[in-house]
Amino acid sequence: MSQGSEKKLVTPEDLSCLMDGELDAYAVAGACGHWREDADARAQWHAYHLIGDVLRSEDLACDSTRDAAFLASLRKRLADEPVVLAPASHVPSSPARARPSWLAPAAVAAGFVVVAGALVVTQMAGGLSLQGAHEPAVVAVAEPPAAASTVAVADAASSTGDLPAVVWDDRVVRDARLDEYLAAHKKFGGSSVLGGPSGFLRKAAVDNTAR
Amino acid sequence: MTASDADAPLIERVKHGDVRAFEMLVVKYQRRIERLIGRMVRDVDLVPDIAQETFIRAYRAIPQFRGDSAFYTWLYRIAVNTAKKALVDLKRDPIVTESARMARDEDDETSRVESELSHGETPDAMLASKEIAAAVNASIEALSEDLRQAITLREIEGLSYEEIAEVMNCPIGTVRSRIFRAREAIAQRLRPLLDTREGERW
Repeated sequence: MSQGSEKKLVTPEDLSCLMDGELDAYAVAGACGHWREDADARAQWHAYHLIGDVLRSEDLACDSTRDAAFLASLRKRLADEPVVLAPASHVPSSPARARPSWLAPAAVAAGFVVVAGALVVTQMAGGLSLQGAHEPAVVAVAEPPAAASTVAVADAASSTGDLPAVVWDDRVVRDARLDEYLAAHKKFGGSSVLGGPSGFLRKAAVDNTAR
Repeated sequence: MTASDADAPLIERVKHGDVRAFEMLVVKYQRRIERLIGRMVRDVDLVPDIAQETFIRAYRAIPQFRGDSAFYTWLYRIAVNTAKKALVDLKRDPIVTESARMARDEDDETSRVESELSHGETPDAMLASKEIAAAVNASIEALSEDLRQAITLREIEGLSYEEIAEVMNCPIGTVRSRIFRAREAIAQRLRPLLDTREGERW
């Protein structure tokens, strides 16, 4: 097995250490991988936790067959769940907010171009002769990067243009147009209908069980 | 690192899309969650279902888990809410399972054996549980003083490796190794009890 040497890096002692939260992050990743691939590691993880439970309270002692069956059926249900990906805590930088107003329609247009490109490509795969479909596909796909670079240039030009902007270390720290923009949109801050500032908002569902 | 954030590295992995890390947490907490639900719901047949639902809900909600409380506290709340909801649904649409009917037939005050059975389910399973508890206790007794003290301070007192090192006046590496050797010694003794059951393999 090609991963044999890598697996050996995770020792049973590492799993014991991980249980107690005393294993460093790099080793944790390895231990998780090891756990999934190695039935002995899973049995060990279960046994160690069972020992801890029984030491704290004897009535938690139970047949391991039950626990294994529980995990097996939960695993099936977990397979149907979308993979969890917690959002990275990254706030968009302020220069991005100072984009000119025509940028949004341009972005939408670029989106259409991409869709058109995708359609052309799929149609091509669907049976059109390769010779004929090749050229339009390339043109369509090449469109968005061109539009994007134009935007970037225009953006850079306008931010150093007639309105004052404070630039430090090649980054716009404060732009008068940004202030205007924020002032104008402040009152719509909570509205998701307008789209723009609602990037900060998160949709939440209230589970009102106590009816 | 305190006992409450011992789960933090695994939770971090789950938040980055590692389902395996979540499964490891399930193996860790499943027994406690099932016992908790078993105390709320009299019908033992429903307990595993509600426990499964609890873990599925926890998995969905884990991006919102901020670590302000211990993971188990958070999971405990989800389990209680899930069990309550199941009870409400049951009232609206009552399905009386065999074990619930039997439990109801018995008089609450006098049926001590019945309520004990409701946790272990079958006499066979109860016997297995008793054997496991006895084996753990016997092997703890058989450990050397150092190993016994290390595993007790960790599992029962909930001390961190650093705190145990201080109490036992030895390096952290020694604590780590003593706890591992204690677990391994007990697990050796348990293995025949855990492995002989046919069927499910971890």
